[in-house]
Amino acid sequence: MTERVARILIESFPKILLPGLKMTVPLTVLAFSLGLVIAVITALIQYVKIPVIKEISRFYIWVVRGTPLLVQLFVVFYGLPSIGIITQPFPTAVLVFAINEGAYAAETIRAALESIPHGQLEAGLCVGMTRAQTMRRIILPQAFRTAVPTLGNELISMVKDTSLAANITVMEMFMTTQRINSVYYEPLALYMEVGLIYLIFSTVLTKLQRLAEKKLASYGRR
Amino acid sequence: MILEVKNMKKSFPEAGEVLKNINLSVDKGDVIAVIGPSGGGKTTMLRCLNFLETPDSGTMIFDGAEYDLRNISKSDIYSIRKHTGFVFQNYNLFLNKTAIQNVAEGLVTARKMNKKEARAKAELALTNVGLADRLDYYPNRLSGGQQQRVAIARAMATDPEIIYFDEPTSALDPELTREVLDVIRRLAGEGRTMVVVTHELEFARNIATRIAFMEDGEIVTSSDPETFFSSVNNERIEQFLSNIKIK
Repeated sequence: MTERVARILIESFPKILLPGLKMTVPLTVLAFSLGLVIAVITALIQYVKIPVIKEISRFYIWVVRGTPLLVQLFVVFYGLPSIGIITQPFPTAVLVFAINEGAYAAETIRAALESIPHGQLEAGLCVGMTRAQTMRRIILPQAFRTAVPTLGNELISMVKDTSLAANITVMEMFMTTQRINSVYYEPLALYMEVGLIYLIFSTVLTKLQRLAEKKLASYGRR
Repeated sequence: MILEVKNMKKSFPEAGEVLKNINLSVDKGDVIAVIGPSGGGKTTMLRCLNFLETPDSGTMIFDGAEYDLRNISKSDIYSIRKHTGFVFQNYNLFLNKTAIQNVAEGLVTARKMNKKEARAKAELALTNVGLADRLDYYPNRLSGGQQQRVAIARAMATDPEIIYFDEPTSALDPELTREVLDVIRRLAGEGRTMVVVTHELEFARNIATRIAFMEDGEIVTSSDPETFFSSVNNERIEQFLSNIKIK
């Protein structure tokens, strides 16, 4: 490695990491949290089988999972303005990622809900709790525990997918790297560098996932 | 009288008419053993009494109030359930809660009792079923018999007017069956009002104040144990009893 490349890498590291901390992390956290809220609602609608709304939620999952994330971003950011709806890059990214994550996580959580023995819901009713109370106190906590490994994977996927937001002008890590590269033209070194930073982020999340699984496993396997 | 059910009916789309015309009355302190061949509707009847299944029609008088089962309201169902207990064949303990949390849950969440009081009550209930040393165990660390005793403590802790047992020992090994039956026997001795669906005839004979024989969705006879077992002149019951004895 030449001295020049080394210098560029060292100088660019904080310049890439900073938008990572200022954009990639908030984008991921906001979109994932909002996505989880959407997912829980969508999953519960299907679990308790509310007519009509259940069909709508199936339709939502079908459309979102069946189309590329990049296309969804383009439709909202570049497409909607032509019918007069103009949105800002960052909120657009949060919303689209959340809607996307909502659809995937809804399936994860629905499957987890259905894996919890139904008798516990009946037992909750029999000790005088309402359906809602039993869901909140008994069924959902267990479903979440079951879903944590899969949700962890989805979170890690999302960190990486945020690089797609560069396409709708969100100044996140990848776009920043592209800019730096256009000045110095060291694509191999710089793109490997940003890859490494994504790897660091993912590794931290993997560790957190393990920790969460361990903590949640305190009541053991059935 | 705590409970009276008249003309209760229930059909399922696949299985047809499972309960044809159920008439049952339970006085305070009654221990009613419901016996009869499988598929006769025993479990369905019990589940209808606590609205785990919705009865199609009939009337219920519970605790002095009369309800039309055809259109009983959700809030009536919840309020009846708060005064009954239910013990399942498969225990159905809350797997994310310890033994004591399982028992306290209905007190804290459904009845808004303060946590300390609920804990004390739950501890007493578990002590009564011989599990004082297992308070903080999760269900998966307990044997089947212990789990069922936690379930009984959970059903008892809310001071129900009546407790329903749905084949409480059918999922248990013989040696674990005894510890559960002993607990139920003691509750009967304390004058608790209970309806017990069971296959344990000896047990039914010993603890029941009345035996209800159920077949094809109807209560065929209902009499005190001595009458039931001595002067059986019903062909179906004799057949049933002899089948069980052979086993």
